[in-house]
Amino acid sequence: MTTGLGATMVRAGRRLLSSLPALFGVLVFTFLLMRVLPGDPAVFFASGPNAGKEEIELIRKQMGLDKSVPEQLVFHLSDIGHGNLGRSMMTGQPVLKDLRERLPASLELTFTALLIALIAAVPLGVIAALRPGSVVDHGVRLFCALGVCVPTFVSGLLLIYVFYYLLGLAPDPTGRIDVFTSLPLQRTGFLSIDFLLAGDFEGWWAACKQLILPAVSMALFVIAPLARITRASMLVSLGSDFVRTARSVGLSWRKVVVTYALRNAILPVITIAGIVFSTMLGANVLVEKVFSWPGVASYALDALLSSDYAPVQGFVLLMASLFVLVNLMVDICYGIADPRVSIE
Amino acid sequence: MRFVSFRPATCVLATTALLLIATAPSQAQTRAETLRYVTGASVNTLDPNIPGSTRESFALSMSTYDRLVAFGRKQLNGKWVFDLDTITGELAESYEVSPDGLKLTFRLRKDAKFQDGSPVTAEDVKWSLDRCVTAPILGKAQLLTGSLTSADQFQVIDPLTIEVTLPKPDKLALPNLATVYPMIINSKVAKEHATADDPWATAWLKEHAAGSGAYVVESFKPGEQVILKRDESWNRGSANKPAFFKRVIVQSVPEPATRANLVERGDADLVLDLQASDVQSLEGKGKLKVISTPQYNAITFVSMNNQIPPFDNVNVRRAIAYALPYEDMFKAALFGRGSPLFGASWPDGKPANGIYPFQQPVKLDLDKAREYLKAAGLPEGFSTTFSFNVGQASTAEPMAALVKESLGKIGIKVDIQKLPDAQMSTQINEKKLPFYTEGIVAWLPSTDYFYRNFYTGNQRWNYSSINNPDLAAIAQEARFEPDKAKYEEAGRKLNAMHFDLMPQIMLWQPNQDAVMAPSIEGYTYEFHRQVDYRDVSRK
Repeated sequence: MTTGLGATMVRAGRRLLSSLPALFGVLVFTFLLMRVLPGDPAVFFASGPNAGKEEIELIRKQMGLDKSVPEQLVFHLSDIGHGNLGRSMMTGQPVLKDLRERLPASLELTFTALLIALIAAVPLGVIAALRPGSVVDHGVRLFCALGVCVPTFVSGLLLIYVFYYLLGLAPDPTGRIDVFTSLPLQRTGFLSIDFLLAGDFEGWWAACKQLILPAVSMALFVIAPLARITRASMLVSLGSDFVRTARSVGLSWRKVVVTYALRNAILPVITIAGIVFSTMLGANVLVEKVFSWPGVASYALDALLSSDYAPVQGFVLLMASLFVLVNLMVDICYGIADPRVSIE
Repeated sequence: MRFVSFRPATCVLATTALLLIATAPSQAQTRAETLRYVTGASVNTLDPNIPGSTRESFALSMSTYDRLVAFGRKQLNGKWVFDLDTITGELAESYEVSPDGLKLTFRLRKDAKFQDGSPVTAEDVKWSLDRCVTAPILGKAQLLTGSLTSADQFQVIDPLTIEVTLPKPDKLALPNLATVYPMIINSKVAKEHATADDPWATAWLKEHAAGSGAYVVESFKPGEQVILKRDESWNRGSANKPAFFKRVIVQSVPEPATRANLVERGDADLVLDLQASDVQSLEGKGKLKVISTPQYNAITFVSMNNQIPPFDNVNVRRAIAYALPYEDMFKAALFGRGSPLFGASWPDGKPANGIYPFQQPVKLDLDKAREYLKAAGLPEGFSTTFSFNVGQASTAEPMAALVKESLGKIGIKVDIQKLPDAQMSTQINEKKLPFYTEGIVAWLPSTDYFYRNFYTGNQRWNYSSINNPDLAAIAQEARFEPDKAKYEEAGRKLNAMHFDLMPQIMLWQPNQDAVMAPSIEGYTYEFHRQVDYRDVSRK
């Protein structure tokens, strides 16, 4: 097992190194893409009632746009080398600080949503696979289709309407914590963990309550791919020889389904979960908007609309790095789920 | 996307829930003393002078900083609005304008203190005003409109007296000192944080407030929320007592439907930027207080670039002016919430007065429009694009469809172009858009100011790119005209020219719809079009 894990680590390290050129490419590409987009950020931000040519020039200089594009690129790359992602015109803060404050919010939401989705999707997929063509199977299919059909902001608004507006069960959908609750000492940035570390259970419950609705509306959307892929790969492994053998030797139902069939079927589910996670992180902008969640995706969208270069570049770089990390995690999970994978 | 139509059925349930919340005993005391204001925008700097600062930042600075003087307020059709003609002292106990109008003398309040407890002196005032006209910040362009351009104009007479000298008797000098930018900063504190590169401490003041205002910044999360705490010793309000609310929470909630839910449930106290349809349904239910004030210093236009053919032909512009379905547009875009600037009747063919903006005698008249097109030599019509920005899509999109349909009837083929905000402002600045809709706002709405800033020069705010030397000369002259009757006459002349040249078409002044809990009182429409937290109180 140790050697297996070691091999996985070597593979992971190699992966990491080979992704560096891709990251660099993303960096340059985003930079150029932002420059060719029509729309001059300086004009947009110089929109006070009296802002004239002078103000536009001033902002252009502040954003470094008075230099030529190659020069700007060199400055940009050296800034990133020094860990400086620039300053956002929109919030007036360094991008690194903004991202550092907002990333935990997005991650906490996405992790929770993914967890809810997995907890719901894997059993659903397994049940559907055990009785293919039955009412249960069709029920799961219908549920999945509904989840995918309803866009996240619609399900989000519906959940708010029912649980906040009508029933008053949920707290007001404005961000990670009720405005009247004081924040715990920031340790991880994940409020649900920080509150626990601070021993403030009331605060922890308040933070969880805020988290439930947005996480559920995101989860609803991704349950479908996860459940479908679980069902498909369970069908394959239930029909395979080793399951037939296991059944014929009279192993318990639990042992057959969970230990043999599911463990073999879980690989594609992990792959899909990795992909789903990365997409969710970037694409949960609608949920973030609806629930006023201070996450990175809505931050990037606002920046994009106002042609605020630095935050968009920072966001894309962050997403690319996360994608690399998630792929690594998936690789490592493969190794744990199926030791054969690490044998190259 | 919104649930307006479901709501009546569930009114009872919601009211019960509201009652339950209202009767919850814990927190009630502090909640009543707290104002929770939600907005789709956000505060991005504590110093409104920083280029790129948002309107919410302007509003915040009104409460965190004092100015020398402030605008009074008046009733307009039963609603409180700011009054440009009444200027009262804020940090100034009294002020005096010399008979020739060239000297303004301000006596400071003896008891005024900064939030760190140090007294406000004439030195601080001078430093702050110097900063406004010298540092590369937004205040410079604003104060220029009041002939305030150089630090030499501000003189300290004694620790409590400051004198401002003007090159010309400029009517707008005093009102300019009441606007957002010339706020009075604690110069001792600011200087401690000034550097050689940044002698006016712009970087530090962006993140920190050092003023004498009614509220102290307790926490500031750019893009999310700002929490303010009342300064108990502040006494610049009308009744010489501190502001009403002990705490003010300014929170960004991007989704308009969520903002509507929050205020309806009673979780938020005040919101300005709801969608017109939500305002209408909330008003219909009658549970909340809705104060709609026409934004009398703002205008929405359909603009035509007077330099680009075929809009360089005045008859084409007139044809368009008679081919717009004004009433339908007004209803579709704003649900009729605003004051129209079309459909006037001028029996003698002359403007009713010299005030800008004014109602033009234009209405939908396709026959007249066809005649003008014929006169322009384009009886068959032409093709063009009509642009608007994404940020205004909720009002501009239905409007654009109506424009397209109506102009199609007289042979003008319109392609609708929806542009991201930054792209739209860039193209306007570069004068590349032939035909589009945009809005303007002026902090100091006087006739000459509008004409000088929005109808002259090769600059961004001259949407129609009109270049008419006569119009420019009259507006320029009116600026320093001390005689009221002559000023009025100049205004009438300008308005008549506007109708004759039809550089762009004024549509309406949209309402500012302030929706608030029934207990909130004192809301006033301010020149910066945001809430001044000092105005409001709870019954």
